[in-house]
Amino acid sequence: MSRLFLSFFLPAYAAGAIVGAAAPVIGSFLVQRRLALMGDGMGHLAFAGVALGVALGAAPLWGALVVAVVGGVALEWLRSRRRLAGDLSLALIFYFGIALGAVVLTAIGRFDASANGILFGSILTATWTDVAGIGALCALVLAITALFYKELLAVALDEETARASGLPVERLNILLLVMTACLVAAGMRVVGLLLIAALLVVPVAAGSRLAHSFRGSMLWGVGAGVLSAFAGLAIAIGRGDLAPGGTIVLAAIGAFLLASALGRGAARRHPRGATP
Amino acid sequence: MQLTVELTGIGFAYGATPVLDGVDLSLSEGGFVVLAGPNGSGKSTLLRLCVGLLRPQAGSVRVLGGSPIDPSVRRRIGYAPQGLRVATSLPVSVTEVVAAGLAPSKGWLSRMDRRDWSRVNAALDSVGLGDLSAECLFELSGGQQQRAILARALVGEPELLLLDEPTTGIDQSARPALARELRRRADAGVTVVAVSHDPDDFHQFCDRILLVEGGRLRQVTHEELHTHIELEAAP
Repeated sequence: MSRLFLSFFLPAYAAGAIVGAAAPVIGSFLVQRRLALMGDGMGHLAFAGVALGVALGAAPLWGALVVAVVGGVALEWLRSRRRLAGDLSLALIFYFGIALGAVVLTAIGRFDASANGILFGSILTATWTDVAGIGALCALVLAITALFYKELLAVALDEETARASGLPVERLNILLLVMTACLVAAGMRVVGLLLIAALLVVPVAAGSRLAHSFRGSMLWGVGAGVLSAFAGLAIAIGRGDLAPGGTIVLAAIGAFLLASALGRGAARRHPRGATP
Repeated sequence: MQLTVELTGIGFAYGATPVLDGVDLSLSEGGFVVLAGPNGSGKSTLLRLCVGLLRPQAGSVRVLGGSPIDPSVRRRIGYAPQGLRVATSLPVSVTEVVAAGLAPSKGWLSRMDRRDWSRVNAALDSVGLGDLSAECLFELSGGQQQRAILARALVGEPELLLLDEPTTGIDQSARPALARELRRRADAGVTVVAVSHDPDDFHQFCDRILLVEGGRLRQVTHEELHTHIELEAAP
């Protein structure tokens, strides 16, 4: 019985672990750049992509990916030219995405339970085919991050000095947002488009409480992301009536609170006062 | 001798406020020049023009024989902006900040190797931060953070150093060592341009002091600069 139970949910655990590990890697750069809300906005835009994909007979994943990528590039283009200023402008674009998605899905008579799964995740029904798609997207994102790590970090630390030193800042920003779009599409099945931004940001916030470096924050964040995925899934599967997307994100917030407490304790035991 | 900085008839204004008006400047390789002047006189603007972060509204800027917006030229410049510009959302180690200075010159897809880390350590040692390399930047004092930013400008072994208020926050007692390090680099052929508020920081080590005033540049002695500052401060 337990072997059957385990094999049934194994794809869910695999998908959760993959997204839980990959999201904080990209999230670290977003948080450092104060672009944490970008993941949230891309999730909203991706919902319109899912709806358009369904309307055109394409797979939801591809619709989400295409619209999130195009939206991300457009947002960066507007941001870099200072044509998009302030939270209000971003909010208008993001809510346009989710409203368009709702209208298209209702117009084609598909605003049903599957829309709920898109918004809040449907990891428990993930198949090995889903895991392969999610894994391929996340592997691509991680490989690109590894190749351009030093450039992405230089821009994340200080965009102006990076530009002055000859780095192509605009192209690197677009690369980061395209990778964010891939992560949003990959995480759609796991925690849903409304909660994927939490997996990008919250584990990194937890990691930052324990580390003294960017790389350290990222690695602790990866650990927190994977553990949150496992813990959230275990709670949802154990109870049987809870939304796993929600339990995963709540577990990540629990990890953040724990890391904050541990970080404060460590700071008290090993004060790191600066000398003039 | 090749000119590293050639400014010809530079004019620049922020909106309706003119800052620079017909500035000419030629610097040869290996010099150590200090830019002095009152707040808002255009010292930082001159540096930002030299590194291509601003475009002149009149005149032309040539740096290291090319345009300052050419990435291949920019990679040969070490620039330290005024103040700490490093984003503070996540902890960042001193080593990570300094290593970021090597990213442009390393080239795409190449990873940091042992030689690169040696250069990072050498840059940290040159500003007296060798023992603090693993520390989080934001847990250091303002002066230590400033030295880390300087090390980032130095690590790529640039041909031109443009430093905006490099001694901000640094103890008076530690400033001569920093000035000596810049002098050493100038003697080795690097052109050093440092903006400084304090006329005593570099006067024993630099070749020239240029006063930025009224949108123009003029060369002054250390004594003339002191007199100028006293007159400025007088009620």
